[in-house]
Amino acid sequence: MLQHFLYLQWKSFTRGAGFATGLAQKILMGFAWIYFAAIFASLAFAAFWVVQDDLGKDPLPFVSGYLLYGFVFWIVARYFLQKMPIVHIQPLLILPVSKKRIVRFGLLKTTVSFFNLSNLFFFVPFGVILIQQEYNWPGVVGWWISIGSIILMTNFLNIMLNSVDRILVLFAVLLIGVYALQYFEIFDLTAWTAPIFMAAYHQPLFCIIPLVLLGLIYQWSVTHFKDKLMLDGGTIQPKAETHRAADLSWLDRFGRTAIFLRNDIRLIIRNKRARMSVWMGVGFLFYGLIFMSDIYSGSAMTVFAGIVVSGGFLFGFGQYVPSWDSSYYPLMMSQNIAYKEYLASKWWLVVVGTLIGMVLSSFYVFFGWEMYLAILAGGIYNLGINAYLVLLSGGYTRTPIDLTTNNKAFGDKRSFNIKTLLLIIPKLVVPMFVYYVGVLIQSKSFGLILVALVGVLGFAFRNLVFGWIEKIYQEEKHKTLEAYKQKNT
Amino acid sequence: MIDLTSLSKTYGEQTVLDIEQLHIPTGQTFGLVGNNGAGKTTLFSLMLDLIAPTTGTVTNNDIVVQKNEGWKAHTAAFLDENFLIGYLTPEEYFVFIGGLRGMKKEDVHTSLKQYIDFFHGEVLGQKKYIRDLSKGNQKKVGIVGSLLSNTPLVILDEPFANLDPTTQIRLKNLLKEEASATGKTFLISSHDLQHVTEVCDRIVVLHKGKVVRDEKTSTGTLQELEAFFREQL
Repeated sequence: MLQHFLYLQWKSFTRGAGFATGLAQKILMGFAWIYFAAIFASLAFAAFWVVQDDLGKDPLPFVSGYLLYGFVFWIVARYFLQKMPIVHIQPLLILPVSKKRIVRFGLLKTTVSFFNLSNLFFFVPFGVILIQQEYNWPGVVGWWISIGSIILMTNFLNIMLNSVDRILVLFAVLLIGVYALQYFEIFDLTAWTAPIFMAAYHQPLFCIIPLVLLGLIYQWSVTHFKDKLMLDGGTIQPKAETHRAADLSWLDRFGRTAIFLRNDIRLIIRNKRARMSVWMGVGFLFYGLIFMSDIYSGSAMTVFAGIVVSGGFLFGFGQYVPSWDSSYYPLMMSQNIAYKEYLASKWWLVVVGTLIGMVLSSFYVFFGWEMYLAILAGGIYNLGINAYLVLLSGGYTRTPIDLTTNNKAFGDKRSFNIKTLLLIIPKLVVPMFVYYVGVLIQSKSFGLILVALVGVLGFAFRNLVFGWIEKIYQEEKHKTLEAYKQKNT
Repeated sequence: MIDLTSLSKTYGEQTVLDIEQLHIPTGQTFGLVGNNGAGKTTLFSLMLDLIAPTTGTVTNNDIVVQKNEGWKAHTAAFLDENFLIGYLTPEEYFVFIGGLRGMKKEDVHTSLKQYIDFFHGEVLGQKKYIRDLSKGNQKKVGIVGSLLSNTPLVILDEPFANLDPTTQIRLKNLLKEEASATGKTFLISSHDLQHVTEVCDRIVVLHKGKVVRDEKTSTGTLQELEAFFREQL
């Protein structure tokens, strides 16, 4: 039985739109994997040596303390990025295969994902170092098993809870809240959780507890999905969303652009996949917290943070123009549409999203003006330059988006092509360079002013750039239509 | 209205469409018939510049479709579900389509009144998104979307498929009325020989990408077509 499933899996993998792309892209993907593996492995080395030598602490309890953040962060990341497995099973339902088998296979398939495997890149080197440094090895193995079980638990929990937005918000708030409490030295939760994770080290047999819990959660998800394995159960076909009426007549003042704006707003309100881009914008607002430490003061990384903080929505949404309209692109292309109006609508959305981001991120003022000014400068650069650039790279992305299925924000292999990669340079690297030049010439503030000035200059060329993007969209039209035909990967 | 000149489409070794010359005059109701793979949808996609031809051109009202987008102003089409926007309600969809052709919201709602019978009370006012409608009702939305804005040229790919028997009859009447009252040019493909002979003035049969029959509809046409397709057995 298993070999039949594996056969289907293999076919869907090799015949998916992502696989059929050029060799260069596959090599790039390979590099990306190696890159992540290297990052995680070096993180493991750092976690041991830096903590031991520079901080003078015992690495194992230290890492155990921070595991809590790791797990909560993973849950949030999974929610956004992990693709749900149980979709293409409708044809199997009436064949002589028990539902339990189908579910089990679907669940096991999810364990082979980046979110689980990448942990190996960290925990295997870290564990090897521990054993080499003469930590007691049965303890390390017990610790390993516990953590592995918890990671797999979050995997199954995520799949079950996937349709519940509120859970995500809860976890995100939890993560930020706990971090804030620790940052302001009010309450350090890690001091409480570290001993729990350490227990499995001191007494390896304790790892049975997470293992049993994992087994229970697995069984729970099997029964959960087995009962829902009906056409109307919500796992095979997404549930019909309730009608959200939206009175958007106030948009009429924007003239012909309003026709598109109305659609785009409805697109975001009514499709989970599109709502994700808004959540991404909210999530990235907090990205700057990582760069609050004094080491980054005056470094070009503050500009990087500034651009990402204000531009979460810009990148999350803009990157997939025109893919948002992929399921009805033939309609768009046979209507009496001027690309300019179509693009203008997306541009306005992205601009308004960035402006809102700039206002919301004002809480950074509490941490000092330097970060907030960097966000403002980055925001202006986003408005003036990146708002075009995302639309431009969208013209080359050509990833069909199935609006009715959610989660796949970064899973699209196709968005990973050379042209879009090259466009990251003007999006992120150029402003960092401009800032660096400004710092060299005069000061940090001069650097920020330069970045903002480049952004303002960008505004002046709006019509010119729009004409340019329009031409690219037109030239790519047939290729884009062709790519959008291949819906399922 | 439409002229095809040495139009062909080749994928790799396989030529899926090859038409030397075809003229469709204004006001004609043009029927396209052929088995699966005969090239009907390819032809319509070429007319709408959704795919690029290997050779030749499509001219729509003196505009070369492959070169200039001016044809869009007077052409409406419904080929398949890719012409629907799933997350809109039917009303919102009509307002969107109409808006692109310069119709005000009120105009759209007035224009929709003539299709109330066709919808049979299952489409308008349902508070449902198009993606949640049945296949048949989705088709109704697409067809009306292409008729609504009164463009002189309407292209419909298999409009009768998926419709219930009553709606098929309604659609036939609707198309006949629109054709005679407004002088619109219709291009319609179908697998249903009876429907297409009833509605269309002229029937063209595509077979393996080539035009094999081209004639004005008369009383004997249906039998002739049936005979032709029986030969293919």
